[in-house]
Amino acid sequence: MAATPALLELDHVGRRLAGRAVLHDVSFSLRRDDVLGLLGVNGAGKSTTLAIIAGVLRPDTGSVRIDGKHVDDDGRTMRDRIGWVPESVPLWPELTVAEALDGCGRLRGLPKPTRKTALERELARLELTDIAQRLCGQLSLGQKRRVGLAQALLHDPDLLVLDEPGNGLDPVQAAQLRELIAKLKPGRGIILSSHDLAEVEAMCNRVVILHAGRVRHDGALESQRGNLDAQFRAIAAQPASTAA
Amino acid sequence: MSALTVARIDLKRLAVRPFAWTLAGIALAMMAWQFLLGVSAFMHAQPTIPGPASGPGYVDAVVAPYLLNYIQLCLVIAPLITMQALAGDRGAQRLALLTASGASGTQIVLGKFIARLAFLWLLLIVVATMPLVLGGATHPDWGQFGAALIASALCVAALTAIGIACSAFTPEPALAATAALLIGEGLSLIDAGVRIAGGEGGWLGYLALHTHLAPAMRGLMRSEDIVYFLIIIALALTLAIRRIAAERERG
Repeated sequence: MAATPALLELDHVGRRLAGRAVLHDVSFSLRRDDVLGLLGVNGAGKSTTLAIIAGVLRPDTGSVRIDGKHVDDDGRTMRDRIGWVPESVPLWPELTVAEALDGCGRLRGLPKPTRKTALERELARLELTDIAQRLCGQLSLGQKRRVGLAQALLHDPDLLVLDEPGNGLDPVQAAQLRELIAKLKPGRGIILSSHDLAEVEAMCNRVVILHAGRVRHDGALESQRGNLDAQFRAIAAQPASTAA
Repeated sequence: MSALTVARIDLKRLAVRPFAWTLAGIALAMMAWQFLLGVSAFMHAQPTIPGPASGPGYVDAVVAPYLLNYIQLCLVIAPLITMQALAGDRGAQRLALLTASGASGTQIVLGKFIARLAFLWLLLIVVATMPLVLGGATHPDWGQFGAALIASALCVAALTAIGIACSAFTPEPALAATAALLIGEGLSLIDAGVRIAGGEGGWLGYLALHTHLAPAMRGLMRSEDIVYFLIIIALALTLAIRRIAAERERG
């Protein structure tokens, strides 16, 4: 049986920021229906990797491909296949939730009828209908994260890129997030970063561990259950120079 | 399309921001006061000035100085209105969101420029309404009035573009406002010394805002003055676009 083709492929991606090499030779892939957890301590390069996948940063070396096509070949079309939620959810504090999401739909170039349908769908899916007329600047962190997810899902992307989605959520909100990820999984690829092993174990079926900008582990989570904690600690304990 | 979407979002944000309305309120109050002073001075001086054929009329004596005062005010207002445009959004990762949504550097910069310019032009329209309402009673030179208004609009656009460029290049909104204020004041005062000494400005004079506003305030709309403002707008916006487009490389 032929293997499922990769939805996302990172091929020897390297990136320097402020004169410092943040990513070295990062390669991994993601298939549809996969939820990949990108694990690593603070400063491991998780957010930079996700920003490169989302097209916000350009890699210095290597390439990012979606369904075999280079992300920069047709930037607009390729970016329309990705939904990105950064760690600090960027919302316009002066706009209501509905206005902000409508603006995001416009930026994505969705025609009015599609935009209206997508807005209603995401407001309902993320339980935002009650706060649709509230200003984004007045939302709690959990609500902001849900609005961030809604903007990333408006255009029904193939790939969802979530940077630390569970940060700052209470246990109830974290459980809701896990349910939501499970619902969103069919038909798309999801990649999320975290330094919370329990969160990754609960949501993902694959894990990539980054340390000092390098991939130190890439594999199915099933084979790692029970062992992931020890493995992560062992990798995180390595000095950056050893990792490099 | 994305540039208009960015402009639409930013205009909505400006429209609900107390800061923008406070600035507009203060500016309009100051302009109303200036207008009343101008009209009062004109009425007192009218018996002493020559007849309508040779003497300064309503536009010379009231409208032109009044619009020049608005330009002076815009040297401060434009930096304050534009300082958050890119510097503020960059810090809050909203620029990254726009980029991830598929908006190019050109669309982002043009959108931000259009939104701020719309706000300042709206203010200019309200400002111009005050002398316009007296137009029926004073028989002004409408050609001169129009030239002064067009030059003012172009100058406001140039100051807005400078503010947007400063916001693109600086990490902090306060720094962006300071830089834009310094550049605007620099362009306003660059030939002041030469003018006070009674000499010709030379190339310094060409760079000065005053050189390109004065003829229009007398009713003379020269193509070189239009080109001067368009060059400033194009240069500032090009620099801002290049800086924003390079963010993907710089990080």
